[in-house]
Amino acid sequence: MAEAALRLRGISKRFGAILAVDGVDLDVAPGEIHALVGENGAGKSTLAAIAYGAVKPDAGTVETGGSVGLVHQHFLLIERLRVWENILLGREPRAGARIDRVRARAIVAELAARHGLAVDPDAFVETLPIGIKQRVELLRELAREPAVLLLDEPTAALAPSEIDTFFATVRALAQRGTAILIVTHKLAEVMGYSGRVTVMRSGKIVAAFRTAQTSADAIARAMVGGEIPALAARAATRPAARLAVRDICAGSGAGALAGATFGVAAGEIVGIAGIEGNGQTMLADAIAGIVPYTGEMALDGELLAPALSPAQRIARGIRVIPQDRRGEALILDWNIIDNVALGRQRDPPLRRGFVIDREVAGRFATDIIERFDVRPPNPKAFVGTLSGGNQQKIVVGRALAGAPKLVVAYQPTRGVDIGAAALVGSRLIEARNAGAAVLLISFELDEIFALADRIFVLFGGKFVGEFDRAELDRGRIGALMAGG
Amino acid sequence: MGRTLRDALIALGIVFGVGSGAMLLAHVSPIDGFGALFDGALGNASELAETLLQTTALLFPALGIALAFRAGLFNIGAEGQIVLGGMTAGILGVALPLPGPLLIPVVLVAGACAGGLWGGLAGFLKARFGANEVISTLMLNTIAILLATYLIGGPFKQPGAGAAETPQLPPAAWLPVLVPNSRLSVSFLIALALAAALQYAFHRTVFGYELRAAGKAPEAARRAGIDLGRTAFSAMALSGAIAGLGGATIVMGVLHRFNTGLSPGYGFVAIAVALVGNLEPLFIIIAAFGFGILQSGAIAMQAEANVPRDIVTLIEGLVIVALAGRRFVAERRTS
Repeated sequence: MAEAALRLRGISKRFGAILAVDGVDLDVAPGEIHALVGENGAGKSTLAAIAYGAVKPDAGTVETGGSVGLVHQHFLLIERLRVWENILLGREPRAGARIDRVRARAIVAELAARHGLAVDPDAFVETLPIGIKQRVELLRELAREPAVLLLDEPTAALAPSEIDTFFATVRALAQRGTAILIVTHKLAEVMGYSGRVTVMRSGKIVAAFRTAQTSADAIARAMVGGEIPALAARAATRPAARLAVRDICAGSGAGALAGATFGVAAGEIVGIAGIEGNGQTMLADAIAGIVPYTGEMALDGELLAPALSPAQRIARGIRVIPQDRRGEALILDWNIIDNVALGRQRDPPLRRGFVIDREVAGRFATDIIERFDVRPPNPKAFVGTLSGGNQQKIVVGRALAGAPKLVVAYQPTRGVDIGAAALVGSRLIEARNAGAAVLLISFELDEIFALADRIFVLFGGKFVGEFDRAELDRGRIGALMAGG
Repeated sequence: MGRTLRDALIALGIVFGVGSGAMLLAHVSPIDGFGALFDGALGNASELAETLLQTTALLFPALGIALAFRAGLFNIGAEGQIVLGGMTAGILGVALPLPGPLLIPVVLVAGACAGGLWGGLAGFLKARFGANEVISTLMLNTIAILLATYLIGGPFKQPGAGAAETPQLPPAAWLPVLVPNSRLSVSFLIALALAAALQYAFHRTVFGYELRAAGKAPEAARRAGIDLGRTAFSAMALSGAIAGLGGATIVMGVLHRFNTGLSPGYGFVAIAVALVGNLEPLFIIIAAFGFGILQSGAIAMQAEANVPRDIVTLIEGLVIVALAGRRFVAERRTS
């Protein structure tokens, strides 16, 4: 193999009690597309940050054959500046004390043309769609002509067609000799685009493959460290109309919901497919009663007035699993018992007169801990000390308790490990089997395909397609998600 | 618990560290200075009674401030709430033709209502318009004091009374004295009972649970069906009511009349008391006693050790800045 462009030797990094990276060696050769995969918390993002130089390792050495660029999952762009200003930030061509704008635009135009990434140098970043923003982010790194390019979950916010374009660019870069390391959890991309793949678990490298000589299954098993848990079986249900939504509009500008009409039956999971920012948040929040909306919403034939408060909606059997468990669902410095009571604090038997019955709350917590295999199984553990997966189990367990009529699950497995994701998926299927109506809003198509009975595609705040589980068409859904 | 201990240690460090430094600057041995202070606060039964009286005056507003803090709200309007509670007690205690056993509770409740109205106003502005309660309560302080000055000197001016005070209350409206030959009244016991009740309310009741949830994680609380506006209003109203009750007990138990100088800044020192007590009512009792010692010992320290009593004000101010500032920084970081 040619001399490595990125050479990591014996890298270790500890955060408090956790050994995030534990003695890792990794080489990426010029011209290679190398995938680094692992579950959340496996240490792959820390390793990328160490390779970039943003985090100092406790032990080990980083050698590079030139500069290193990093494209972040969450773009690090200045929204209110123009494209060229973002790309040349810190390296603006000067004319005396002033910036030479003419030359700056020319540099950016040339850079964009050379890499086949069309952008308008004068556009303000805040006006650009997500796919173009990522192009700007990528161009900013390419302007430094890095020998090594690190891509941290680069496709999280992209539509399927944008993902193809993105990887075409990445391939072209590799062919010109750039060493590329992609941190991802999407195995389809690993199989489709990488030459080699390295699997991390608990801070260590547990497997390394040539992509051509392995399978997605083998990689997944290495990530989990065993077999991937199967989902619960779907029982035959007889769906009966439950939630009926007509012409709901909420919010304004990007991310608004602009007239959505759909229904969810009892005993069915309806999946909402779409790319982030197409109205999903407004949809979940409108049903939760968090944002004002116009249009009609009915539950079991009873109209829900838009003014109905979150509490009144909860009382009618609506439960929402919010997207951001840490900010919207949990109180991190409370224990599990106090957290599972949240939202039920006024309902008997939890409430006894003016007082919260701690025994009932404790039993409630123990039930969820057992049913969802929460670790550590200690009801007095502070929620902030649990892993993301275990936190999410508590949020989902709380939402599914007490036979809710409608469960809105917004990104219910975001950032949780494969085992916890399978468990959450199984519990959602079981709730459906037991007669709940489940609305699954997810940015992960695979999750929707695995769980949903019916799928609506959301684009630009409207539903642009409806599919039945029996007639799923991945290509067509992907095209609709991108507005095609 | 760790945080309680740490805050208490910070407060003690400021008291003895800054206090010693300031005394040395005044050319007084800190041993003599603090000796005079503690001796003046705890030396004999009547001095202890005076310290407990100061403790009581701080405990009421501190409990109110802690309740607001629990809901994530910073009530710095306790001073104004004390004034209005005291003024209401001063006016009604003279004017109401009620027999003794009825007069005291009615006037106490009226004082609490006046403070509650004042706090509730800030809560309403917060809930309805999102007005920052720090600014609104601070402004309401000034309005309260000027309003009281106007009402006492104008519409409610009584014959034979000075410009800035009400006539003396009839003895039927005086709170029973707890320690003979002192000014310490049953208000001390009322404050202790209130602290115990709040300790229970914070940790066991649905009200306390919702209050704490709204204060810790407003977004999660809102999504769990807790009405943040209503919580803000009721927290501020109750907070003001507790401070107003404190003002009424000063009028009915200590001064036996209202004048606009009834509080030498209890409402502000109480912020430090609430924070040193880590918003736990039972700890706040201890913190209030500590600050009560400072308040009541300051005069003896000045008289006997020649240390300016302003040092106590300095110390109290630094404790507020250290603890309130740290709490604010910590909360900004987590949110």
